[in-house]
Amino acid sequence: MNYTFQFRDIFNAWQFLAEGLATTLHLSVVTMVFGMAVGVACAAARLYGGPALRAAVGAYVEIIRNTPLLIQLFIVFFGLPSLGIRLDALTAATISLTINLGAYATEIVRAGLQAIPRSQIEAGHALGLSGLQVFRYIVLAPALRLMFPALASQFILLMLATSIASQISVQDLFHAASIIQSRTFRDFEVYTVIAVLYLALALLLRAAFALIYRMAFANR
Amino acid sequence: MIREFTLIDVFYLVAAIRWTLVLSVAAFAGGGAIGLVVAIMRVSAFAPLRWLAAAYVQLVQGTPLLCILFVFFFGLSIFGLPVQAWIAATLALSIYASAFLGEIWRGALQSIPKTQWEAGGALGLGFAEQLRYVIVPQAVRVSIPPTVGFLVQLVKNTSLAATIGFIELAREGQLTTASTFQPFTVYCTVAFLYFLLCFPLTQLSRALERKYNVVG
Amino acid sequence: MSLVEIRDVTKRFGSLTVLDGVSLDIDEGEIIAIIGRSGSGKSTLLRCINGLEPVQGGTITVGGVRVNDAKTDLKKLRQQVGIVFQSYNLFPHLSVARNITLAPTVVKNIAPAEARRIALDVLHRVGLEDKIDAYPQQLSGGQQQRVAIARSLAMQPKMMLFDEITSALDPELTGEVLKVIEDMARSGMTMALVTHEMAFARRIGTRVIFMHQGKIREQGPAAEILARPKTPELETFLNAVLH
Repeated sequence: MNYTFQFRDIFNAWQFLAEGLATTLHLSVVTMVFGMAVGVACAAARLYGGPALRAAVGAYVEIIRNTPLLIQLFIVFFGLPSLGIRLDALTAATISLTINLGAYATEIVRAGLQAIPRSQIEAGHALGLSGLQVFRYIVLAPALRLMFPALASQFILLMLATSIASQISVQDLFHAASIIQSRTFRDFEVYTVIAVLYLALALLLRAAFALIYRMAFANR
Repeated sequence: MIREFTLIDVFYLVAAIRWTLVLSVAAFAGGGAIGLVVAIMRVSAFAPLRWLAAAYVQLVQGTPLLCILFVFFFGLSIFGLPVQAWIAATLALSIYASAFLGEIWRGALQSIPKTQWEAGGALGLGFAEQLRYVIVPQAVRVSIPPTVGFLVQLVKNTSLAATIGFIELAREGQLTTASTFQPFTVYCTVAFLYFLLCFPLTQLSRALERKYNVVG
Repeated sequence: MSLVEIRDVTKRFGSLTVLDGVSLDIDEGEIIAIIGRSGSGKSTLLRCINGLEPVQGGTITVGGVRVNDAKTDLKKLRQQVGIVFQSYNLFPHLSVARNITLAPTVVKNIAPAEARRIALDVLHRVGLEDKIDAYPQQLSGGQQQRVAIARSLAMQPKMMLFDEITSALDPELTGEVLKVIEDMARSGMTMALVTHEMAFARRIGTRVIFMHQGKIREQGPAAEILARPKTPELETFLNAVLH
């Protein structure tokens, strides 16, 4: 292997990396918030809604989970304009990633809610609590604790998946790589550095979620 | 020149599925082989092996697949390999699969109660023999549903090979869009084709899980 | 008028008939012990009284209110009827205090300070005031069951239902729970217990009901029924249980 690795050029271009990183974080956080909202709403629909609503949510979840994110992104960004809906890249990416995360979040939230034993809910009803009160005081906290690890994993996967938005020219961290590459011609080094940055982000996120879990659901 | 999106285009899209499948199978085979080693390392009694495997899994799972793809693609020439999209794609997806399969199979191995290991040891079996005759046969049953589930992820992720120019279903979709200018129709068709590939696998995974939960 | 009036109740689970024309009156101050094989319908009957199970035929009236009427506010009804389950069903994420004060504060809108006073009071009655800030996981089975009883008592119900509350306990822990029930009986609480503890049923029950295949086969004063069964089914049951 006769090749000298030159990482200095990459480090000189740190501004592009920083800007890309900011976009990646922004995209991730916004998607997590909205995706979670979609997940909770759809899980509630699945568990407590009428047959038509349950079927609709079921179809949504199956379609999203059985098609690639890249294609979903292309449909939203490239396909919708031919129906008259023209979106900028960042908005298209946010919408597409939210729809994608929402499908996975729905299943996680649903599983968490269904894991609460019927006997707990029955005991609540037997004491005279209404359905809403049972949900708020007896189901919610234990269910959140149960679904937290799976949600945390899904959020980290989402953060990594935002890199796909680069394919519709969203100026995220992964896209910064192609800018730096065109200036320095150091393809391999660029993508190696980007990989390390994503890894650092993922580890940081995991630590943050672990901390939140310990603080919110501390074992007595 | 702009063409109409006709049945011929659909035929070409369907034909491209074979490359999606080839890539999926190759990645599963490569990833499976490495993943098996990773899983066994993770349950071994030798601590450095465990840490090495754990670090490997963290590294691969903490990097976007796109990144792994590009690193391999641009690294090919450095390491003396021909710069071909299919080589990079197969290597990258194999590494990706190996980490996830390794974790799934590690979980399966660890789900077998310690008492099974003790029983085998009490009969005089060594580590390798315990694995081969007692633990792995039971672990295989447990691991089949999530493994099939991961296969779905793998098939979907072959679509990313399009970004380095590998011609499979997604790339064929891009090319068809370029010549017909019907992105919505083309990509919806592509999505539908992926759905036809993935949904049966998803259902199979669920059916297997029900079956093994009832028995086990 | 009796506190509980059950008239000709039928209940089915799918094609299986679990209650087959059951009629029963429970007066205030009575202590009814319901015995019978598994599947005889005894737990189901209990759970129909406070509306946890719907019925397909017949009527159930508690304190003048029709239980199986769609217009009935079940929440109000359940404040009058306390139930304790075999598996205690304490809320694991809440402390003992919060388990007990939850319903009074949320359903009856009692102030938190007053609710805690009630909690201390009912815990005293079951002998567990010192555990008021503990969590369920820190308590033994017998202690958890006593907390469950206290939790129901905090709502000051007119009657208490007990669904095999000692069946899940280790033998040495049953005594402490049965003592609590005995104290409640002495203070005049109306109770219906589904139980396997025959000696206990005879000691505190005013009336024993024997159920078999969804029907009430025999009923009468405790001592008499258990010593001189009139029907072959009860005789077989007692032989199997009391050998």
